[in-house]
Amino acid sequence: MENRTQHLFLKPMCLAAGLSVAAAAQAQDDRPLIEPDVTPVPVTEALIDTENFEIGAFVGVLNIEDFESSLLYGGKLTYHLSESFFFEARVGFAEGGETSFEKLAGNVEVLTDSERDYSYYNINLGYNVLPGEAFLTENYAFNTNFYLIAGAGATDFAGDTRFTLNLGAGYQVLLTDSVAVHIGVRQHYYRIDVLGAEKTSMNTEVSTGLSVFF
Amino acid sequence: MPIAILVFLLILPAQSWAGWLWGQGDEDVARVQVTEPYVAWRTGPATGYPVFHTSEQGEWLTILQRKTSWIKVTDSRGREGWVAVADIARTVDATGNPVDLQVPDFASFSNRRVEAGLMMGEFDGAAVTAGYGGFWMTQNLSAELWASQILGSASEIRMINANLVHQPFPHWRVSPFFTLGVGHIWVDPKATLAQPEERDNSIGHAGLGVRAYITDRYFIRAEVKDYKVFTTRSTNEEATEWKIGLSIFF
Repeated sequence: MENRTQHLFLKPMCLAAGLSVAAAAQAQDDRPLIEPDVTPVPVTEALIDTENFEIGAFVGVLNIEDFESSLLYGGKLTYHLSESFFFEARVGFAEGGETSFEKLAGNVEVLTDSERDYSYYNINLGYNVLPGEAFLTENYAFNTNFYLIAGAGATDFAGDTRFTLNLGAGYQVLLTDSVAVHIGVRQHYYRIDVLGAEKTSMNTEVSTGLSVFF
Repeated sequence: MPIAILVFLLILPAQSWAGWLWGQGDEDVARVQVTEPYVAWRTGPATGYPVFHTSEQGEWLTILQRKTSWIKVTDSRGREGWVAVADIARTVDATGNPVDLQVPDFASFSNRRVEAGLMMGEFDGAAVTAGYGGFWMTQNLSAELWASQILGSASEIRMINANLVHQPFPHWRVSPFFTLGVGHIWVDPKATLAQPEERDNSIGHAGLGVRAYITDRYFIRAEVKDYKVFTTRSTNEEATEWKIGLSIFF
């Protein structure tokens, strides 16, 4: 009995399945015998995803000469000219603290609150001196770059905008080919005359940031 | 057992959908075939990274992305690495034609349409930072737009300019040019000065300079400009500016 039921259902089903395979094969008859596994695509520049720009944010500490250290945050846009050279545009924001004189004398203010807002922009040229790899495990490595960077821009602090030179170095670790972590130090130089005679103010920045290539 | 065979047979026709299921043909994949004896693969996009693999003639590579003059590829076995653009430019694509990749050279420098750059220098004794963009109408004539910031000990100056540039010898590697233009200047004296009076004036300028092609898409540009500031006072002011910088062209 069981055998009969099996025959009853299996036979037509196998037939139907077989037929549909045949039908599918029939439908494909007009195509070439061996199909290429991809349709031919002409390779042009437009087809390739180019990632020469890098946009990022950073946070760190800025030591403002005479005005304590401050939290620094900002953003940057990088354009990679070649494997070695890159342009970087950077903006940063911090806030100047009190001078020792203000603290000791008590009720004295050298700058108003709004004059203590510190912001800078600069345009820099960087050079990847030491491209390399950092090995996390035996089989996994991150691409890295140690770079030197220098440039010029302006600092808005203590009521005026001042021409500022900056130079420094950084270490870039590429987590993937599109995401990178940076650690860097910069020295900013500008002339300032807020505390009497004009002098060169040296401001050290230590920052870390994350950036994305696009 | 018969049930298993049955299920298998029932599913067989579904193989005709497999292409759709895996998204085959949905996206254009850039695939190239190596025609040179071999191409070298590096672990990163720079000559400093070591060569860890090579693909031989006839192998197919899939292009993933490009960074500067390096292309990230993957092969049929799923390996990933970076190959120089110059090597990829010598491969053929699936249509059998050589890959259409331009490696910028001196010839493309003489035929550039757009250029942009950053320059630094001195404007009447004060530091100047400037950026510009230019469009080439012919090989000899271009129009440019400039934005400059000048930070001196007495004032902060902002300036915008529009100018025409003529280069008589477009095919020279080091090519001189002449420029003529107009603009506007905003002078903001330092807060610590006696009479902090803001003023803005129209300016006109003439200059000469030189471009020197380096490599790839880059050239060095240096120039001297003489500015005439048209004031409301009885005399006009004059200022001389020199700048040097790096530019890129497309």
